[in-house]
Amino acid sequence: MPDLRIDATVNGRAISRPAKPWQRLLDFLRDDLNLTGNKEGCGAGECGTCSVFLDGVLVKSCLVPVAKAQNARVETIESLGRAGALSVLQRAFHKAGASQCGYCIPGMVMAGTAALRANPLAGREEIRERLGGNICRCTGYQKILDAVELTRDVGNGTLPESALAEEEPADGRFIGANVRRLDAPSKVSGALKYAADMTMPGMLHVQVLRSPHPHARIVSIDTAGAQAMPGVAGVVMADDVPGIDGFGVFVNDQPVLARGKVRYVGDAIVAVAAEDELTARRALDHVTVVYDPLPAVFDPREAMRPGAPVIHDDAPDNITKHIPIRVGDVESGFARSDLIVTQTYSTQAIEHAYLEPEAGLGYVDPDGVVTIISPSQNITHHRHMLARILALPINRVRFIMSPVGGGFGGKEDMIYQGILALLAIKTGRPVRYVFTREESIIATAKRHPSRTTLKMGLTRDGRICAVEFRMISDGGAYGLSTEGVMRKAAILGAGPYNIANLRMDTYGVYTNNTPSGAFRSFGALQTQFATESHLDICAEKLGLDPFAIRRVNAMRDGAVTHTKQTLGSVSLMRALAAAEEAARWEAGPPSSRGATRHDLGGAGNRAPCTLGARFAAAEHAAQPEKVA
Amino acid sequence: MARRRGRGMAACWYGIARTATVDRAAAWAEIDDGGTAKIATGVTEIGEGILTVLAQIAAEELGIRPQDVTIGDNDTARAPEAAHAGATRQTYMIGNAVALAARQARAQLVDVVASQWGVAANLVETANGEVFARKTNHRMPMGDAVSLCKSRGVVPVGAASFGTDTTGLDPVDGSGRPWQAYVFGCQVAEVEVDTLTGEVQVLGVWAVHDVGRAVNPRGVEGQIEGGIVQALGQALMEDYRIENGRTTTPGLAKYILPTALDVPHVTSVILEDRDPIGPLGVKGIGEPAMVPTIPAVMNAIYDAVGARITALPATPERVLEAIKERERASRHRAAAE
Amino acid sequence: MLYCDAYLTPRSLADAFTAMAEYRGRYRLVAGATDTLPWARAGRAGDVAIPALIDVSAIPELRERRVDATRVRIGAATPMQRFLDDGDLARAMPVMARCAVWFADDQIRAAATVGGNLVNASPAADATPPLLAHDAQVELACAREGKITRRRMALGDFVRGPGKTALEADEILLAIECAALPGYGAEFEKVGHRRSLVIATVCLAAVVRLDAAHAIADLRLAVGGVGPVPCRLHESENFLRGGAATLARLEEAAHMTVGLVQSRTRHDYRRDVLHGFVVRGLASALRRAGGASPPVGELEASHA
Ligand SMILES: Cc1cc2nc3c(=O)[nH]c(=O)nc-3n(C[C@H](O)[C@H](O)[C@H](O)COP(=O)(O)OP(=O)(O)OC[C@H]3O[C@@H](n4cnc5c(N)ncnc54)[C@H](O)[C@@H]3O)c2cc1C
Ligand code: FES
Ligand code: FES
Repeated sequence: MPDLRIDATVNGRAISRPAKPWQRLLDFLRDDLNLTGNKEGCGAGECGTCSVFLDGVLVKSCLVPVAKAQNARVETIESLGRAGALSVLQRAFHKAGASQCGYCIPGMVMAGTAALRANPLAGREEIRERLGGNICRCTGYQKILDAVELTRDVGNGTLPESALAEEEPADGRFIGANVRRLDAPSKVSGALKYAADMTMPGMLHVQVLRSPHPHARIVSIDTAGAQAMPGVAGVVMADDVPGIDGFGVFVNDQPVLARGKVRYVGDAIVAVAAEDELTARRALDHVTVVYDPLPAVFDPREAMRPGAPVIHDDAPDNITKHIPIRVGDVESGFARSDLIVTQTYSTQAIEHAYLEPEAGLGYVDPDGVVTIISPSQNITHHRHMLARILALPINRVRFIMSPVGGGFGGKEDMIYQGILALLAIKTGRPVRYVFTREESIIATAKRHPSRTTLKMGLTRDGRICAVEFRMISDGGAYGLSTEGVMRKAAILGAGPYNIANLRMDTYGVYTNNTPSGAFRSFGALQTQFATESHLDICAEKLGLDPFAIRRVNAMRDGAVTHTKQTLGSVSLMRALAAAEEAARWEAGPPSSRGATRHDLGGAGNRAPCTLGARFAAAEHAAQPEKVA
Repeated sequence: MARRRGRGMAACWYGIARTATVDRAAAWAEIDDGGTAKIATGVTEIGEGILTVLAQIAAEELGIRPQDVTIGDNDTARAPEAAHAGATRQTYMIGNAVALAARQARAQLVDVVASQWGVAANLVETANGEVFARKTNHRMPMGDAVSLCKSRGVVPVGAASFGTDTTGLDPVDGSGRPWQAYVFGCQVAEVEVDTLTGEVQVLGVWAVHDVGRAVNPRGVEGQIEGGIVQALGQALMEDYRIENGRTTTPGLAKYILPTALDVPHVTSVILEDRDPIGPLGVKGIGEPAMVPTIPAVMNAIYDAVGARITALPATPERVLEAIKERERASRHRAAAE
Repeated sequence: MLYCDAYLTPRSLADAFTAMAEYRGRYRLVAGATDTLPWARAGRAGDVAIPALIDVSAIPELRERRVDATRVRIGAATPMQRFLDDGDLARAMPVMARCAVWFADDQIRAAATVGGNLVNASPAADATPPLLAHDAQVELACAREGKITRRRMALGDFVRGPGKTALEADEILLAIECAALPGYGAEFEKVGHRRSLVIATVCLAAVVRLDAAHAIADLRLAVGGVGPVPCRLHESENFLRGGAATLARLEEAAHMTVGLVQSRTRHDYRRDVLHGFVVRGLASALRRAGGASPPVGELEASHA
């Protein structure tokens, strides 16, 4: 069957080009027409980074077979405006500070445009609903909604155009001023090129074979079938690493490609570079790996038991890191307590879900410098590690940070940059590797799941006498940032309170689960969730207001921390007072008194979402007619 | 079957920059032709707005506008080391390094201009794209000042690094000086719990955070709003599941994230307790923004319906089960009395 | 990814059947493709290669729309968004409009077809309960011995189990026909883990008409998510029909659903929610039907 021929109008220009019958509209726009403003965040209709207008109707182009664009009118983000000639909505995004990493933004701009085309007077709740197919991981949506409302108001004349302009600081001082983001125009217009949007002449496409087993010895790898395929330019595996293999933020326990064994489902084993992505994908089917499955362990508490399967030879107890903190004597503290409360807390593994899946390019420049372009959060450290892995002097390795479409800690690990380097060296050509969403989820780090037992002793008036805190955390198959996460969890876990007697232990443990790694707020989130929940439980039992119990214990200027550091100024008391005031908090013990409090439902709340805001709008719009 | 509201709060603290290790970052600055400026530093934007913050800092230090500052690409072969983008360290480490580098560049320019005018260097000011000497009528555009420098054989440049005075932790009792700057915060959350379905909607969050000094308040709000919504995802719905080593949430259809319909209105209150060590007084906000949200929401759920959720996420099923459990317990108590 | 050697877009039913005959056993039909493309991804079916995809969405019979005071006929390829933005359709099928706002998002709805939703036969398919409430019939067509023949059946007989329908390998779902229910009060209740792009744990369609005395003249209730196939709640309907709409009676009707939940996962949760949805869904539908709806005030009381 021959290729399709697509005749369509794209951004106002007639095009006529061949397309593969299986291509999606998104592939056609990005790969064939080089319209990379719209992105592929998930490929499954779940994120909206790919939203484009098809005959004036907004659709998710990752779910549109390209044949559906036949004779149609397609508008991408590139049609709405460009730097210097932005649309009102794009300017409103700029003004409101609605873009952060920017990866969701082209899709958001499309959705906002569609929302106001559908109803130029849409209220905030209706706008929310009309933007409901577009995920943003950075902004919390508030400034995006503000921007769409601003556009609506400028559009209907309630606000002047000048509302979109930069506010110059009156005193000429820029520190402290709401200067508009300098990178916003490139983001709202889709002009900014992320790694997956970049191409290089002669570029090859990379695909990676990953382990289907959580724990197995690799008996043999046969890549001959893949090597022999037309279009395949290079195949690499662990043997291709010239230097000392291993990377990690704290310990270098992760090989570029599995060496001798695999430790989790998703561990990379073999990488292929080919003329196109489909060939590279098919080549993986022609690699044969023989595995000898090993007993695996998935629960960190089991992994800590003697006799559990050992995941890394140099950690026979499977403990990646234990951080102890000791202050005073907890036993005597508990003995003096009027109330002792013990409770267990658990938190789940969390995916960073940055809208930009991992992507990167690698090439060897004419001077022999191995160069990696990727959205890395740590180019300095990556360069150190890659130089050692490649056995190159450090200035023969160069890392360039491409725009990062969200990181949150998840792009601190050098998960795929080593693969890019090996294939660039092996093939002598530029290579590019773009993860699918599923690959990103299966292969990259998560927030550490945790299980905490917290025992707290207090006096009747709410003073904390002693805390015993023990957290066990699943670090998964490799060390990544586990050590640092355990450390921060321990230092901060008992909260900003004066605690004379503290026994704090955090353990990060190897298992055969997806590795855990760096994630915004790095262990402090898990532990302070426990402590702050616990304080409310204790406050109820003591009949104290939640603010009051915290004030009794709060660190103040000159406090000594649990690591025995003396602080200077401590702003906690000010923060408590400001929050109480801002929320107009009504004091009282936390004893499910929702039914009787008077501070509910006031300013600062949104309307509860009931869905169907557009019905209300329609009913409202219909009314004047009835009257007339 | 009613929908019940409740409120909860939680406090937090956080350390700024790398933990229990010496942190460092460097920057190069040049006052460029036309009175613009060039900054190079090892790592910048991951979405948080640091590019704009650094441009604001350089602009303020040099007396030009943020739009006139160009920040070089992040490239290990072209820019000095600034370590990594994380640990709530960008504004603190790199911001301070840029301020110091810009001050050096400015000092070079001021020296040349002061000698040209024959005034003391400490009388020379730079502001609004101009150089002038206080108590005199001397005044020239920044671009002319750069030309003057160059005609005297001087390119006004600066290079600086900023480091922390910190230590590791003692392996036995954990004592040490992990950070030199700390921030504190507090959030209040208001929720509505549907007692029919167990669904929780967070309607409002009031978030107070000490950031040292807000270089760009709107950017700080963006970090707070985004952090709260990320935490809300973990509080209520996100759950990476794995069974026998295999994930059962392999895509965004199963691993679900908050949408615009699921998020609260956030009221941010920015506190400024300036850092006494760094040249700018700034601290940070990226990570602490999301620390108090989850306990504040769990405490609010308890306030609304008396159900204490200790295992995240608080899915509708878990919340409804906890409500029923509480009803069973109170019936039991009533029967016993 | 879903790979194919040919992507065909027949413009007539006859062309479609020709293509289906040519690729017999080697094709798959698509309409909006919103179930098919996400299915062929890692973690689900993985990469799938199919010789031909036959896109039925351009066939005129599948795009039909006839609405009058008593009947509705819509082609199977009608996008879900039509139930919201086509005023006549929204009036004739008030519960489909309520369902549509909960269905995926505006963009998916623009592509996702009602026929695809039925044929995909997910236990949690959102369109099925409202269509059951409308007593919908489906019309299927095939070409055998050179002749196109059609057959009809009740929707309840068409959906057989998760992913299973009465559709034969050589058939196309042509159209859906049902009663128009203008003036009915409608509600669609749905719960999942968020409020957009959400698959229902339980969903319920309720439509009600009141008589002059404000008694329940007609009502239809259907539920999805609680068993292998969505179904009507006949026992509860029969109990309520003709009677007054009091909270006590609604509760009693809801109680009749207790044994209905077949899903093994989250069984108790689904049972409780279904019970609550019957009461609350009906209460809202009653209010929209113009009833005094005594229960609603109490039910929606929030102590804010
Ligand atoms: C992000 C996202 C969110 C979603 N949210 C929801 C939701 O909230 N509620 C919900 O119920 N569903 C939801 N879905 C599922 C999907 O959108 C619907 O089931 C949709 O109605 C399927 O229709 P389609 O035309 O797109 O299906 P297609 O993928 O084109 O087809 C689905 C199946 O039906 C067959 N088929 C289609 N048309 C015919 C026909 N005329 N004759 C015979 N066979 C046919 C196809 O062969 C295929 O097997 C969602 C999907 C996505 C991607
Ligand atoms: S919705 Fe298309 S890429 Fe996510
Ligand atoms: S700005 Fe929305 S995902 Fe980053």
